[in-house]
Amino acid sequence: MKQDLLKQAGYAYNFNRMLYVNRQAKKAFSVEFIDDNDENELERHIREDGDRGEWRFYFNSPPSESVRRELERTLG
Amino acid sequence: MADRTIEDLLREEYFDLLPDIRRVVQELEAEIRYYTLSTSRSLKSPERLEVTSRIKECESALDALRRHQESRAFDTDRPELYTLSALPDLAGVRILAFPRGRLSEIDQALREHFPSWKSDPVRDENDLMFSYYGYCAEASDKVQGEYQIVSMLTGLFWQVEHSAIYKPDPKLKGIAQSLEMRKRTAEVYGALQRFEQEFERLVLGERDFPS
Repeated sequence: MKQDLLKQAGYAYNFNRMLYVNRQAKKAFSVEFIDDNDENELERHIREDGDRGEWRFYFNSPPSESVRRELERTLG
Repeated sequence: MADRTIEDLLREEYFDLLPDIRRVVQELEAEIRYYTLSTSRSLKSPERLEVTSRIKECESALDALRRHQESRAFDTDRPELYTLSALPDLAGVRILAFPRGRLSEIDQALREHFPSWKSDPVRDENDLMFSYYGYCAEASDKVQGEYQIVSMLTGLFWQVEHSAIYKPDPKLKGIAQSLEMRKRTAEVYGALQRFEQEFERLVLGERDFPS
């Protein structure tokens, strides 16, 4: 189950943004992205190494720069 | 003077559209009441059919448009991307039927009169309801209307959910899209559906074989 994968990997649901977020890993998955990718694909993205300094957003349509900045500011 | 926010521009748009929204909801409700009249007249106890309508409120429309964005945020560099007329449900009519055996009949009757209206595949998932959106040519060429045909128990569950949780605190709407809540909500729909099917089976059985 996708929710189990996310939960085990330390992701929490942010209902304001409708994102699954892991602040330590600095990764966020939109519900649309989760819906449109199967469990294997989702697991691959959860496991892949990120650049610890930068947030990585898994969206179907990548956020624009200004939206990205706002998300980074909100998510901390 | 500081630039106006996207929210302020959208609020202005809302009140520009409001006369059209009112015309669409009145026109659509009147047409749907008329086209479902023959079904209404043929109902036998305990069957029921109700037609309700609503105009989406301004802040609710802004919130819906924001939630349509994958980031749930407006791109402040590109205000021209956003218009409330993109929302298909500013003017909405809901047809509630009990039991659910009547849904297809009503859908068929209305499809004949709204042949160009598009169905909403996302909202139709799980055979939960029939929903369509399009333009009422006589009422507006700017604002679309939406009608939904849904079982009465499911529709009343949405009303309770809305008035108990989301109306007092619209920010909580995002909770409904979490994987966990979607699973629980699907369980509620399943339980309501089974309840109705059983009820319908017993009532129809009784009607077919009266004592």
